[in-house]
Amino acid sequence: MTPERAPLLEVRDLVAGYGAVQVLTGLDITVAEGEVAVMLGANGAGKTTTMRAISGMINRKGTITFRGEALTRRAPDEIVRMGIAQVPQGRGTFTDLTVEENLRAGAYVRKGSGIEADLEEWFGVFPRLRERRSQKAGGLSGGEQQMLAIARALMSRPKLLLCDEPSLGLAPIITQELFDVLKRLNTEQGLSILIVEQNANLALRIAHSVFVLETGSIVASGTAQEISNNDAVRTAYLGY
Amino acid sequence: MGHLLQYILNGLARGSIYSLIALGLVVIYRGTGHLNFAQGEMALFATFGAWWINDHGFPLWISILLAALGAFVGGGLIEYSLIRPAAKKSPFAVVVITIGLFQAFNSLSGLLFKGAATGLPFGTLFPDAPSDFFRLPGGVIWRYENIGVLVTVVIITVLLFVLFQKTKIGLAMRMVANNADSAKLAGVPTNKVLMLSWALSAAIGTIGGCLVAGINANVSLGTMFGVFLLASAAATLGGLDSPIGAVVGGLSLGVVESLVTNYPNDWWGSTYIGADTAIAVAFVIILVVLLVKPSGLFGSTRVERV
Amino acid sequence: MTMPIKIRESSPLHWALRVVGVSALAAIAVYFASNAAPSTLGKITEACTLAIAAVSLNLLLGFNGQISLGHSTFAGLAAFTAGYSVNAWHWNPWVSLGVACVLCFALGLLLGLPALRLKGPYLALVTLAVAFVWPTVARKFLQQTVKASTLKGMRLRPPTWTGLANNRVDRALFLFWLSLVLLVITYAIVRNLRKSRIGRSLVAVRDNETAAAVMGVNLPFTKTVTFGISAALAGVAGWLAAAQLATLDENSFSILTSIKYLLALFLGGAATLAGPVVGAFTYFFADDLLKTNAPKWDFLPGPLSKGPVASFLLGVLVIVFVFIAPLGLVGFVKAQGRKLAVVVPPPLRPAPKASDPTAHASPAPAGEVE
Repeated sequence: MTPERAPLLEVRDLVAGYGAVQVLTGLDITVAEGEVAVMLGANGAGKTTTMRAISGMINRKGTITFRGEALTRRAPDEIVRMGIAQVPQGRGTFTDLTVEENLRAGAYVRKGSGIEADLEEWFGVFPRLRERRSQKAGGLSGGEQQMLAIARALMSRPKLLLCDEPSLGLAPIITQELFDVLKRLNTEQGLSILIVEQNANLALRIAHSVFVLETGSIVASGTAQEISNNDAVRTAYLGY
Repeated sequence: MGHLLQYILNGLARGSIYSLIALGLVVIYRGTGHLNFAQGEMALFATFGAWWINDHGFPLWISILLAALGAFVGGGLIEYSLIRPAAKKSPFAVVVITIGLFQAFNSLSGLLFKGAATGLPFGTLFPDAPSDFFRLPGGVIWRYENIGVLVTVVIITVLLFVLFQKTKIGLAMRMVANNADSAKLAGVPTNKVLMLSWALSAAIGTIGGCLVAGINANVSLGTMFGVFLLASAAATLGGLDSPIGAVVGGLSLGVVESLVTNYPNDWWGSTYIGADTAIAVAFVIILVVLLVKPSGLFGSTRVERV
Repeated sequence: MTMPIKIRESSPLHWALRVVGVSALAAIAVYFASNAAPSTLGKITEACTLAIAAVSLNLLLGFNGQISLGHSTFAGLAAFTAGYSVNAWHWNPWVSLGVACVLCFALGLLLGLPALRLKGPYLALVTLAVAFVWPTVARKFLQQTVKASTLKGMRLRPPTWTGLANNRVDRALFLFWLSLVLLVITYAIVRNLRKSRIGRSLVAVRDNETAAAVMGVNLPFTKTVTFGISAALAGVAGWLAAAQLATLDENSFSILTSIKYLLALFLGGAATLAGPVVGAFTYFFADDLLKTNAPKWDFLPGPLSKGPVASFLLGVLVIVFVFIAPLGLVGFVKAQGRKLAVVVPPPLRPAPKASDPTAHASPAPAGEVE
C-alpha cells in the first residue's frame, strides 16, 4: 500500500449478515484516496455482504468511516449523497427504463446543472450506449448492461465506486475491455474504486492494494505485488 | 350501427371510472407488489367525506378536491403506520390488513354518516338534464354527463403519465417499481416513494368514487363494492403493473359490459339479460385473455431465477 | 432439566400428551352436548362449518400456495345442490353430500386449470371474480328453476339409530355432533395428505415450482387436484350450512363469505394443521361476542344499531391482531411454547456395519426426556 495517500474509506470490525446468519465476523479494510482496491474471495466468503453493508443495504455493526464521517447509521440514499456509488452484482439495471432514463436515474441524488454534460461525457466513454439511448435497458447485451450499470453509478458523481463482481457472466474479451475502462477512470479522473472479484488475475493487474477475504474476515492484505508473491494466495486465487 | 356507437359511448363513461380505480390499484401494486383490497372502501369513505364537506356549504368540486387531499394524506399515513410495518412481518400480513381496512372503512362510513346505509343524495358534477346531450349522426346521443366523466378521467390519466414520465418523482416511482434494490443504491428513498404511491392511489380513488356517486346522484355503503370488483378485473385484464393496461382494461370492460347488456335485449326482448350477467360475460373474457397472457395484456413478465 | 424440555417424537410421553389433548377436546365437546342450550350448540355448529371451510382453504393456500377467494362459490354450489336435490327431488341428504362434493371437485379442477398459468395476485383476482359471479348464478337459478326468492334448507332429521327426536332441541344436538364429526374427518384428510408424500410435494410446489418440477413433481396434476380436493372439502362446509339453515338465498355465499374463510385461516395461522380450526372458532366467537356486546356509540351520527360498531371493531381487531401475531394464533402459541418444550425427531439409528451385526440392534432410547 502506498502510505502517502490519505484514507478515503475505513472499515473497522464490521459485523453483518442476514437475519440470524452472520456473514461478516469483524472485517477491516482501508481504501486510500485515488487507489483501486480489490477484494478477492471465494463464493460465500462475504464479498457481496461487505458491499451491501458499506452501502447501507443491510444491518451492520462496527465502524465505517468515509472521508472522516461515520456512515454506519446512515440510510442508503444518504450514503449515495455522501459520494459512494455501487454497481451491484448482476448489474441491477432498470430493465423497463430506457438507457438514457437509467443514466438519469443514476443522477437521482444530484440537482440541476451538469447532468446533461455528464450524460454526454459518459456517452462519449461508452459510445454503444449512445447508439441505444432510447432503447429499453432490458434489451442490451450483458456487457452493455455492465457498462450501463457503471455509467449509471458514475452519474451520481461518486468519490468511491464499488463494483461487485463486474466480470460475472461476461466473455473474457468484454471483461478485459471493462477493466480497461475502470483503469482509465482511475488514472484519468482519480476515481477511487473498490472491486470485488473472483477473476483475480485480471483484477490484480489494475489493483494498487488487495484484500483477501475468507469466511467473513480479511486473512491477507497488501499491495498487488505483495499479494501476487504470497504463495498461499497464489495457489488459492491465481491458480499457478 | 347507430346502436353500436351509442352503446360504446355509454360504456366508455362507466369504463373510464373502472380505469381510474384500476389505476389506483396499479400505482400501489407497481411499487410494493401488494393488492389493496380496501381501495374501493377507502374511496367510498373519502366520497362520503366529499358529501359531508359539500353538505357544509362548500361547492361540490371544491369538496371533492378537499376530500382527495385528505385521502392523499390518509393514504400515506396508512402506508406508513400499517402497511410498511406489516410487510416486514409476513407476506400474508398485508393481505389481512387490507381486508381489515376494507371492513373498518365500510363500517366507519356507516358510523359517521347518518343515512349512509340507505344512501345520501350526491350532487351532479355535470349537466344532466334530459336535454343535456350532443346529437350525433344516426340518432346517437352523447350525454354531457358521460362526456364530462370521460374527460375528467382522461385529464387525470394524462396528469399521471406526465408525472410518471416527465418528473423526477415519477422516475423514482418507476425505478422502485422496476428494481427496488437498485433504486435504493441510486439514492432513492424508497420508503417515501411507497408512501407517495399509497397517497396518490387514495387520492385517485376519491375522484373515482365521487364520479360514481355523481352519476348515480347518490352514495351508499354499497356504492363502491361492485365498482371495485370491476376495476380490479380491469387491472387484471390490463396487467397489474401497467398503467396503460389499467386504462385500456377499464375502458374495454365498460364497453363490453354495455354491449353485452344491451345487444341481446335488442334481439330477444327487453329483460333477457341484466347488467349482472354482462359482468359474468366480462369475466369469462378476462379468463380467456389471462389464459393466453397470464400477466394481462400489458403486464410485464419477469424471469424468475431458481 | 433445562428449558426447553425436549420431547421425542412418538415416544410414550409424546403419545401421552397427544391422548390427553384429544381427550380434553372430547370432554369439552361432551360437556357442551349435555349442558349447552340449543342456540349455543347452533353457534358451535356454525363455527365448525367455518372451520371446515378454513381447513379446506388451508390445504390450497397454506400448503400449496394457491390463493382462492372463490371458496364461497364451492360452498354455495354444494349448499344449493343439497337444498334443491333434497327438496325438489327428495334425494337422500347423504347422497346429496356425495354428489355435492363431486360437483365441487369438478368445478375446483376446472378453476385449477387457469390457476396453473396465473401467479399470486392474478389468481386472487380471478377467483375473486368467480366469487363475484356466483350470486348472479344463484339468483338466476332461484328465479328460473326454483321460482322463489329463497331455497329451503335440507331440514336434516336425526337418523332413528341416534335415538334423537325430530324436534328443535334434538336436531341442534344432532347437527352439533354431525358438524364435529365432519370437521374431524376433514381435518384428518388434510392432515394425512400433508404428512404423506403428496403433502411434501404440495409444499415443494408452494416453495419453488421450478425446483419441485425438476425433482419430479407433476406440477399440473398436483396443482389442479389440490384445487379439486380443496373445493370438495369446501363443499362439505356448504352442505353443512344447507343442513343447518332454514333458507338459502343468493347472498348466502357471497365474497364476504370467502373473506371470512380467509380471515379465519390467517387468524389461526396458515400452513399449520390446527391453525384454521383455532382461527375459525376465534373469528366466529369474536364476531358473535362483538355483535351482542358492542356498544351502540350513540355519540356518532350514523349508527342505528350495534351492527356497524361490531363490524368496525372486528376490522380494527383483525388489524391489531396481525401486529401481535403475524403468523396467526397457532404460530404465536408455537413460538411461545417452543421456549417451554419442543418435540424432537427420534435419533437416527447408526447404519449397520458389515463387521458388526449388533449395530442395528441398539434401539433408540425410548421416551428420553433431556
